[in-house]
Amino acid sequence: MESLAHPAASGTATPAQEQARTLTSLTVSGLTKRFAGSDMPVFRDVGFEVLPGQSVALIGANGAGKSTLLRCCVRLIEPDAGEILLGGESLSDKRGRALRQSRQRVGFVFQKHCLVPRLSVLSNVLHGNLAHGCGPRNWLQGLARDEDRQRAMDCLEQVGLADHASKRCDQLSGGQSQRVAIARALMQDPTLLFADEPTASLDPQSGEAVMELFGELCGKRRLTLFFVSHQIEHALHYADRVLGLKDRRLGLDSASSGQTLTSLREFYV
Amino acid sequence: MSEPANPLASMPHRFETPSWINTGLFALFLGFFLWSLQGAGLSLTDLLTGLPNMAQVAGEMMPPATDRLVPVAQSILVTFQMALVGTVIGVLLSIPMALLAARNTSPHPAVRHLVRSVVSFMRTVPDLAWALFFVVSVGLGAFAGTLTIIVDTIGFCARFFAEAMEEVDPGPSEALASIGASPIDRMAVVLLPGAMPSMINTSLFSLEKAVRSSVILGLVGAGGIGAELAVSMEMFRYDQAATIILLIFMLVFSVEQLSSRLRNRLMDRPH
Repeated sequence: MESLAHPAASGTATPAQEQARTLTSLTVSGLTKRFAGSDMPVFRDVGFEVLPGQSVALIGANGAGKSTLLRCCVRLIEPDAGEILLGGESLSDKRGRALRQSRQRVGFVFQKHCLVPRLSVLSNVLHGNLAHGCGPRNWLQGLARDEDRQRAMDCLEQVGLADHASKRCDQLSGGQSQRVAIARALMQDPTLLFADEPTASLDPQSGEAVMELFGELCGKRRLTLFFVSHQIEHALHYADRVLGLKDRRLGLDSASSGQTLTSLREFYV
Repeated sequence: MSEPANPLASMPHRFETPSWINTGLFALFLGFFLWSLQGAGLSLTDLLTGLPNMAQVAGEMMPPATDRLVPVAQSILVTFQMALVGTVIGVLLSIPMALLAARNTSPHPAVRHLVRSVVSFMRTVPDLAWALFFVVSVGLGAFAGTLTIIVDTIGFCARFFAEAMEEVDPGPSEALASIGASPIDRMAVVLLPGAMPSMINTSLFSLEKAVRSSVILGLVGAGGIGAELAVSMEMFRYDQAATIILLIFMLVFSVEQLSSRLRNRLMDRPH
């Protein structure tokens, strides 16, 4: 059997990776975003800190700006004002390759999975490697190095989908697609993982399974998790801290242990 | 207390009354169409007097001649080769043109407009005009025909490839951008696979179109079976012309069938 070249796949990490993990945190200050054609900002003067290894939930009503805030944190959407520090490094002035390098440490799981539907499950997982290296070796599973194929299979094994590796992604259910998206993030081996309503398109059982998987992986890999959810139960159960967006401002930044279902429902009124 | 509003008052009419402008435009169109009937030379008398001639030519076509079957078959093969080579080169050249012309991949709006204009020009100039231009430029023969098909294919494919690329779901590309994947990688793993079904369809349709087109190109000296057909008709060898028409039909029909099967096979394969 081939040996696993990437230590993250087996759950062990090199000292350098351990150091990178302990350094990766997210600090946001004075963040403001206004879309063109709108008088009012989506949110203004938002500031918070996500410490390494923490699991933080962001809640808020529809249109409160949760997804926009998450995208602003990696500058997929450009904020109008504010500072973003990723692992202590400012993202504000970075462009092109420098910005891409900063994003290498950040995984992203989206509500709609965002997989390439016509490609196989294994090729999609392999795309996580594009954070660290470019070129055809990471485009299709047929062109990939043996060790990368093996590592991608290992990531699929961790999400329980190793037997679906050769299927096309458009043949999977919503829950399975989300697991493949998580496997792709594992392949990338991030130290900070953003998840934008990862259970929104799933039935309650699949949603619970996905959140369980996040919890398990965060514990095993010491991932920092920052997720958006409409399900208050998930925020209370899977997060150490809860942030709440309301009236265009950050109205809550508190330990989840100090919150209740009733107190968090305030953010949906 | 105010009276409740009548809900039937807001019910839409079954048919909307057309505006004066629309009525005027329709009348203008109708007038131009009636005038065009005269310009198009439609004549029932000519049609009726021509019917016996049609019957005579059709009669002289039977049975199709087999005396020049080998050279005609060779010309058919050359026709297909021109179409195949022209289409493949045209499709390959269309990909970079489409990347420059698509809204989501073009490096600058000015580049996009320029490339779109060039592609439009290639498409709108008829293939016979391109064939005459290339015959004058590079001489009589298959090369002029192949160049014509390349230009014609770019004009057709680059436009539809660009539209297919613009319609690809931006989600997976955003997902890979969020982890730091380069634009070239995102194009290779998201954009091209996403646009591939439409690109395969367009390419195969383009091959069918090129086969039909390459038959006609021979009429102006750009190689292929067209020249054989023109000579047979000019020498009143309608039986030879019938053989050529049958072979053309077999070629076009085979290419259409083959491309249809190929399309279905390519669509279902995972990568």
